[in-house]
Amino acid sequence: MILDVQGIEMSYGALKVLHGIDLVVEKSETFAIIGPNGAGKTTLFKVLTGEAMPTAGTIRHNGQDITKLPAHQRARRGFGRTFQVARVFNELDLRTNVVISIESRLRYSGGNPGPWWRWKPSRDVQAEADEILDRFGFPRRRWNDEAGYLSHGDRKRLEFCVALATKPEVLMLDEPTAGMSPSDRKEMTHLLARLKAETGITILMTEHDMDIIFELADRLMVLNFGEVIAMGAPGAVRDNPTVRKVYLGQDHQHA
Amino acid sequence: MNRAAQAALLLFLLLFLFAPFLVNPGLVFLAGFAMIQIVFALSWNLLFSYAGLISFGHAAFFGIGAYISAVALRDGYEIHFVLLILVCAAFGALAALLVALVVLRRASGVQFAVLTLALSQLIVVLIGYSSLLGHDEGIAAIPRPAIDFGLFTVDMNQPLTSYYFVLAVCLLAVGLMWLLAKGHVGRAMRAVRIDAERAAFVGIDVWRVRVIAFTISGAFAAVAGAMLAPWSQIITPDYVNWLQSAQPLFAALLGGAGFFWGPVVGVIGLSGINYLTRTFAGLSEVLVGASLILVVLVAPQGILGALKQLARRRGGRTPGGHA
Ligand SMILES: Nc1ncnc2c1ncn2[C@@H]1O[C@H](COP(=O)(O)OP(=O)(O)OP(=O)(O)O)[C@@H](O)[C@H]1O
Ligand SMILES: [Mg+2]
Repeated sequence: MILDVQGIEMSYGALKVLHGIDLVVEKSETFAIIGPNGAGKTTLFKVLTGEAMPTAGTIRHNGQDITKLPAHQRARRGFGRTFQVARVFNELDLRTNVVISIESRLRYSGGNPGPWWRWKPSRDVQAEADEILDRFGFPRRRWNDEAGYLSHGDRKRLEFCVALATKPEVLMLDEPTAGMSPSDRKEMTHLLARLKAETGITILMTEHDMDIIFELADRLMVLNFGEVIAMGAPGAVRDNPTVRKVYLGQDHQHA
Repeated sequence: MNRAAQAALLLFLLLFLFAPFLVNPGLVFLAGFAMIQIVFALSWNLLFSYAGLISFGHAAFFGIGAYISAVALRDGYEIHFVLLILVCAAFGALAALLVALVVLRRASGVQFAVLTLALSQLIVVLIGYSSLLGHDEGIAAIPRPAIDFGLFTVDMNQPLTSYYFVLAVCLLAVGLMWLLAKGHVGRAMRAVRIDAERAAFVGIDVWRVRVIAFTISGAFAAVAGAMLAPWSQIITPDYVNWLQSAQPLFAALLGGAGFFWGPVVGVIGLSGINYLTRTFAGLSEVLVGASLILVVLVAPQGILGALKQLARRRGGRTPGGHA
């Protein structure tokens, strides 16, 4: 198992949001966390990525306890993430956004981002950034555009590129298609499916769109009021009566 | 950066290069002073625009360089002046590193800014007690060095030589800061300023980047101070005071903080105001205040920001965008 999470509890002040979450993620699987609004999905993500410290519980990555590790050190161990509301480096162009991520990886992984006085990214870094942008559907003419002017869907896609540029072992996506147009949504799903097939990366994702979950997830977990109410293969979870009651709804098209 | 801004910077460079042949000695002195303030302002902006830290006490590092340089020259230390500049840089860096290690662990926003201000004012008070540093009167009549470069000697007692030496050192300092800002270290700093949390999630150690930025910034501020001692030949606690600390902030606001060259434009603007109002006591402060208010209201991105917007409105998209 790549991730072993035990007994995670988390509170915002007096409000307890996670009540003892246990979950295990295997290498190369796509694991989805679903649940109604406010169930605690994003909070669980925060705890896993180091953005927030849990009030109880442990997180192990490849057997090592990383519960107290700060975010940048988790990133260096191979955790990449995107945010529910995409966060990119707004004033910088698309290329620079990805370059920053690549150079950071080179710095901590024993690579070489080049001497400090080189005012341009090294040729290798540049080529890698261009390749990523190209692979994820940004045409060359847009590489110098400021990230702040991107549409919502494009920002999500760029953030995805930035996250992938660190070559993560575990990719955590908080609602990768939230707020996207149907066509962007389809494209993102397609990208994820391809990534999964080509690289064997481990994906942890939350998502409200059930079609995407059923298309991508190997296993999933249903969170409700900060508690796990079901876990397993998509089909089994879908047919679980409790889940249908609290989340999927009787009339859901897949039910 | 757009055409207009590039042309303006080139013009400034030419003016600085030929100032001794174009204007009177009084203005040449001001030009040298402005170049030193440019280095100081840029060192501050490396923190502000690149690492996202505000220091209200940056004159402390400027003062460290100025006083070390002044004492060494006054007391005739047997040290090559170029080496002396490097010593000043080292002490500036060390002081900044200590401040960063102590203060940055606890705060990075306004609290950090205020703590740096408090520390720098503490230094002003300490200088007042020190007879080595000339108490409140400071160190006056600082001799200018003759610097031996083997093949040739740069004698700062010659006005022209002195000016070009200051110009050369300042250009070198600006060049080094530019390279740093545009390179991968500068990119990591900018990532930290724009969104520190996002930066952490691509593996950037935010705290470390800030400490490094602060240390480098302290070194360059000290270099600026070190050049002032032989240039103005008088160093007083005024150069460590909060008003000196505020100069880079004013310059950055006026010129455009988001741009590497913003503070350069700002320093030149402020120097211009000071020069034109030199015969009217108090008018300069009023004008500086008024122009800052005007800039904040009309062009919050400073002069360079306004130029960039003008260029955009005229249809020409600026490649690379943010300079
Ligand atoms: N910063 C915060 N401070 C206080 N309460 C918070 C904070 N963030 C979230 N909460 C609360 O914690 C609970 C869980 O929120 P969380 O964002 O984890 O849910 P979610 O499952 O991601 O929801 P959504 O599907 O809407 O994204 C909610 O009740 C929310 O109001
Ligand atoms: Mg959420």
